[in-house]
Amino acid sequence: MSNTYKALSALLSYPTQEIKDAAAEIRRAIHDEKLTPAWALRQIDRLIDDFETLDLYELQERYVFLFDRTRSLSLYLFEHVHGESRDRGQAMVDLKTLYAQGGLEIGSNELPDFLPLFLEYLSTLPVEEARALLNEPLSVIAALKERIEKRNTPYTSVFRALEAIAGEAPSERELEDLRKAPDDDPHDLEGLDAAWEDQPVTFGPGDAGCPKVSQMLDRMNAGEAPGDIARTARS
Amino acid sequence: MSHVLNRLTYFKNRVGDYSNGHGVLTKEDRTWEDAYRKRWQHDKIVRSTHGVNCTGSCSWKIYVKGGIVTWETQQTDYPRTRPDLPNHEPRGCSRGASYSWYLYSGNRLKHPLIRSALMKAWRKARETTSPIAAWASIVEDPETRASYVRQRGLGGFIRADWSEVNEIIAASNAYTAKKYGPDRVIGFSPIPAMSMVSYAAGSRYLSLLGGTCMSFYDWYCDLPPASPMTWGEQTDVPESADWYNSGFLMLWGSNVPQTRTPDAHFYTEVRYKGAKSVVISPDYSEASKFGDMWLSPKQGTDAALAMAFGHVILKEYYIDRQVPYFQEYARQYTDMPMLVRLVKKDGRLVPDRLLRASDFDGSLNEANNPDWKTVAYDKCANGIVCPRGSIGFRWGEQGKWNLEQKTGKGDETDLAISLIETRDDVADVAFPYFGNREHDHFHGTDHPDVLERRVPVKRLTLKDGETLVATVFDLLAANYGVDRGLGGDWAASSYDDDTPYTPAWQEKITGVARDKVIAVARGFADNAEKTRGKSMVILGAGLNHWYHMDMNYRGIINMLVMCGCVGQSGGGWSHYVGQEKLRPQTGWQPLAFALDWARPPRHMNSTSFFYAHTDQWRYETLGVDEILSPLAPEGHWDGSFIDFNARAERMGWLPSAPQLERNPLELTKEAEAAGLDVQDYVAKSLKSGALKMSCEDPDKPDNWPRNLFVWRSNLLGSSGKGHEYFLKHLLGTNHGVQGKDLGETGGQKPEEVVWRDEAPEGKLDLLVTIDFRMSTTCVYSDIALPTATWYEKNDLNTSDMHPFIHPLSSAVDPLWESRSDWDIFKGIAKSFSEIAPEALGVEKDVVLTPMLHDTAGELAQPFDVKDWKRNEAEPIPGKTMPAVTVVERDYPNLYKRYTAVGPLMTSIGNGGKGIAWNTEHEIEQLKALNGAVTEEGPAKGLPRIDSAIDAAEVILTLAPETNGEVAVKAWDALSKATGREHAHLAEAKEDEKIRFRDIVAQPRKIISSPTWSGIESEKVCYNAGYTNVHELIPWRTLTGRQQLYQDHLWMRAFGETLCVYRPPVDTKTIAPVINAKDNGNKQVVLNFITPHQKWGIHSTYTDNLLMLTLSRGGPIVWLSEDDAREAGIEDNDWIEAYNTNGALTARAVVSQRVKPGMVMMYHAQEKIVNVPGSEITGQRGGIHNSVTRTVLKPTHMIGGYAQQSYGFNYYGTVGSNRDEFVIVRKMNKIDWMDQPAQEKLEAAE
Repeated sequence: MSNTYKALSALLSYPTQEIKDAAAEIRRAIHDEKLTPAWALRQIDRLIDDFETLDLYELQERYVFLFDRTRSLSLYLFEHVHGESRDRGQAMVDLKTLYAQGGLEIGSNELPDFLPLFLEYLSTLPVEEARALLNEPLSVIAALKERIEKRNTPYTSVFRALEAIAGEAPSERELEDLRKAPDDDPHDLEGLDAAWEDQPVTFGPGDAGCPKVSQMLDRMNAGEAPGDIARTARS
Repeated sequence: MSHVLNRLTYFKNRVGDYSNGHGVLTKEDRTWEDAYRKRWQHDKIVRSTHGVNCTGSCSWKIYVKGGIVTWETQQTDYPRTRPDLPNHEPRGCSRGASYSWYLYSGNRLKHPLIRSALMKAWRKARETTSPIAAWASIVEDPETRASYVRQRGLGGFIRADWSEVNEIIAASNAYTAKKYGPDRVIGFSPIPAMSMVSYAAGSRYLSLLGGTCMSFYDWYCDLPPASPMTWGEQTDVPESADWYNSGFLMLWGSNVPQTRTPDAHFYTEVRYKGAKSVVISPDYSEASKFGDMWLSPKQGTDAALAMAFGHVILKEYYIDRQVPYFQEYARQYTDMPMLVRLVKKDGRLVPDRLLRASDFDGSLNEANNPDWKTVAYDKCANGIVCPRGSIGFRWGEQGKWNLEQKTGKGDETDLAISLIETRDDVADVAFPYFGNREHDHFHGTDHPDVLERRVPVKRLTLKDGETLVATVFDLLAANYGVDRGLGGDWAASSYDDDTPYTPAWQEKITGVARDKVIAVARGFADNAEKTRGKSMVILGAGLNHWYHMDMNYRGIINMLVMCGCVGQSGGGWSHYVGQEKLRPQTGWQPLAFALDWARPPRHMNSTSFFYAHTDQWRYETLGVDEILSPLAPEGHWDGSFIDFNARAERMGWLPSAPQLERNPLELTKEAEAAGLDVQDYVAKSLKSGALKMSCEDPDKPDNWPRNLFVWRSNLLGSSGKGHEYFLKHLLGTNHGVQGKDLGETGGQKPEEVVWRDEAPEGKLDLLVTIDFRMSTTCVYSDIALPTATWYEKNDLNTSDMHPFIHPLSSAVDPLWESRSDWDIFKGIAKSFSEIAPEALGVEKDVVLTPMLHDTAGELAQPFDVKDWKRNEAEPIPGKTMPAVTVVERDYPNLYKRYTAVGPLMTSIGNGGKGIAWNTEHEIEQLKALNGAVTEEGPAKGLPRIDSAIDAAEVILTLAPETNGEVAVKAWDALSKATGREHAHLAEAKEDEKIRFRDIVAQPRKIISSPTWSGIESEKVCYNAGYTNVHELIPWRTLTGRQQLYQDHLWMRAFGETLCVYRPPVDTKTIAPVINAKDNGNKQVVLNFITPHQKWGIHSTYTDNLLMLTLSRGGPIVWLSEDDAREAGIEDNDWIEAYNTNGALTARAVVSQRVKPGMVMMYHAQEKIVNVPGSEITGQRGGIHNSVTRTVLKPTHMIGGYAQQSYGFNYYGTVGSNRDEFVIVRKMNKIDWMDQPAQEKLEAAE
């Protein structure tokens, strides 16, 4: 059981008066548990300060702008992995099954891949189990961190903290894929231009072919079993 | 050691190969295969469709697993067609197949959103006051109002809960009704057929309130006014399966493979059967490759081509040789035999109005409506007769409104379509010619303004003296320039003469070679002759979006009518753009417009409304004189287009919204105080000037629309012609209008409509948008409400492309905080009833309605136009001014009324298109089906409408199309008017009653009903005009026939009695800006064309990632290689297109497909997806409508005149946009505008 995940979940939820009122409690929970490194705590404190000092409307406006309106910062994890692909449905079904195995059913009108909901689930697990599970979507969290860092907002701290708690490094390969996804608003115009360019089509394996196919072929060449590849390629 | 113990004795290992090595057994772990097995597992399949704006109307299987939608596939269970026809399936396209991810998409609107400034003000006010007073305090304080109005489009949203937003909306509506009048509450939602309950949800609320429902078909410019002009019918077309019955199929300005994907297979299949196909399109469209021949005329000149086809058909099939079938058809089903008066004007003989029975002494023995009965020359009687079927027979008498070849008295007739044999004389008759008008980008010819052509005439003695008359046919043939052997300067002796309208003449205008024109015309007519009319033209936006679309359409209609194709299976006019078909229409109308509680509802034509209230009229550059005929009769042709519209409104031709400068809830009290009935009071006050109509001063705050609901629509993102004017004047926020208004330019201001030097900015107090995605319109709204997607609600869906009715049904519950449209408006209605007593009780509302088509009111002024405002007539409601009706509103009980079927269905009954029937039995059925209301109040004992399914059952039970018993009643009702038996068309299905659960099980074929002009049958496909031709039911026009001659005074004034070629108008949007903001790059001026696209629009929007990935991921425009080279633009460059209306930014697609001189931008690409800032405006790039501004056409304003009478979405002004030109150039600087708006403003200071 861990209050840190529960507290981070609250910080990433839509700011309400209730959460605002609980700011001190949230601060205490994170500090007391010491799951979060001290440098990250200092940054999270700035966000909690906001909850204590800012007007609720300002908090809500900022949240809607960042997380409801900016697609590249969506808090739905599979938005960044599966986008509008059909695989997203199965992935959500799997996640729901996982919660059910833990004896929990989604009681709100949220989707299984909503990050605050996922964090709440982690808060019900033993610390090591939670950490292991947190590592699974780590590359998405890392990608969100990179995107939100450009926006100069204290919300960045939550993503940094999560990365620190997870302890492992995000898969560089997955992160690289996520970095290719267009951000909603970079200053980097050339990057955006590149995202727009049509790639020349070449058939068969190669740089310009389907990335999933080339990954799979690479791994087959490296001697992995077809079963493992199929399993992981799907997720 | 022996192997006995470690060797298997009775078993063997399950490994190795078998079947000679073709099979192999291994011990390998195979659990990975579960991934694939699970991939296609599901808990249930639910039937639904994609229901906002796609006419495809395809039924889909929605797969649900663990309460989550996982994917969709096409349904394949449509009822079968006949043995000789291909099946309907597969129906469904890539857009539909990629829809399911809207449910979980990042673009989904998940919670009610409201601008925080508004919420703060509201909560503050609510701490101390009641809801309506709280709203008053917000909008009456200029600073508080501005705090959120100026924020529109600039973010600052927070979430809200339903009860709170409902109260805000209700308070705003109640305040508006009390302060200004309920007609200031406006609602816009398009195309009900695609989700009819969702549409009805909002329109029912508005109608009970007294609010205004806005039209869409005319506003989208998809309504072809030529259809009501010719047939008295909004639009009625063949189903796509009927293409398969055609022998000669023309695709003209329509791109079937791209925009009618689920239907296109019938087009490919009929070609295997041997049908010929000609495709006419300026660009090399996807359809072009299907044609046996592809003609590529210059865009916007199609009428010239059609006139040349008509010239060949008339000459070869009517004059040189008479085809018996064509002659019979023309005599019985067209106005060609009708007689037209010729009058002298400036020394020339000009065709005037159609002759009427009342022109003769004794009115040809026609006592009833002789002013409205047209006459012809009868070869049996050798004299003038009054044939049956004209509109005078429709009203005031029964049994003779039919197309039997008889006179009113019952004598057999043989009408002459030409007087050439029996002529008294030959006269030179003057016809207007517009093809010589100057235009920078369209070639004209150098023929004179007026062409005098020889016509055979008869001399008749009428009540007012001797008159020359000619038949419509003889005038038509003369107008086409066909030589009748009568001589004259402008009769073409050969196709090579450069005389309007020969094949040689059109070459200079269209660029199409004459021999191709002749070949196509012959192919078309030959096939029609051999097959009795199986030649078909599929036409669409490419023709209809031009200012003079009527000419493009009438040119084609003339060809079809001449060749007897209309009303014949496999033939006719197939207009497929924005058309819809709400098949159970007469069952839906009572629900949608609350006709069960109060009649009439308030309807408004959106084009005129938006022209006035987004103040586009303040920038008008087109003069009335530029389109007036050189032969215009005497009349008031001065003023500007807004003046013409105001005249039409005050004469009761077009509707008004808002209606009067004063609150309509106050007028009955005033009338009572004056001791007058309301009709008299309104008429007298208007005449004295004590009361004014709102249209006379649209910028006065009393006349502003105040609340606007937008649902099922992206009004600002895709359909707001003159987008930047919307932003500036209606919304009052940042905008990109580049031009100056008439006050600043010193242009000619309106004559009768009040000009205010200071233009209003921000007329709306509240803009509420209901959508499931964060669309451009949501971004500009004060409140955005999340609605259920098409897989989360129950609703009905029909199309004209196939004969089935099928549902949207709820696969999963609405996600997050979203609710179905039905539940949203029900919730608002509930809040409204709760708070209303603070200001409103039972009120008497004075409603103005125009003279409506298909009512006796359509016989208003038979001859000249008398304007009461000019003292030419008295203001008589329903005759010379709008009808005036008092309607009772019960505001505290609005919710109870909303949720029950009201008593008028029993006391008055139901009906449509001019016929009426009793519905008592159906109401009893509904009580049994839905249950009766038990709560005390005005609804006690009436059938309930609680859920969307209840609402669907109301529609299905009341409509003849889905209830056979009603169909028989409706046909019987029509029989009274026509004197002919029609019930056989439905009797076989009298016991069939289609319910919601039936269509959830399988799509059902609908039942034939007199609401439509075709039939559902085992023998023929649905085709428009079928019952006119085969049941002899008249078309709902003045003559009762397909009317090719339009004789209203305004039609004569604007030179469109007959079809003529008119070049596009000059909108003058280039010169004032072309040198104003140089960025150093070369510029080209191109015609701006906005076709429908491949990667969005119909079943998805242009923000679906899968579709964006298949195209280029953001806004694009298509350019020809020549134009790109001239402007130094390469493929994929960022370009800007601009004119005085505004600017847009996009990527260039340089393609051989495009004809030089035009630029194509696919319709409705979103401002919210990858659009950078514009160098011109400094605002985010703009959408396709940023460079457009709508211009009205006076001939669309005519009213109270048979087929030219107003009907909602039926007739009225249309928002054309293709005559527009833009300047295109490469951009230097791409600004993604990614700083918050506030910082940017501060930085700029």
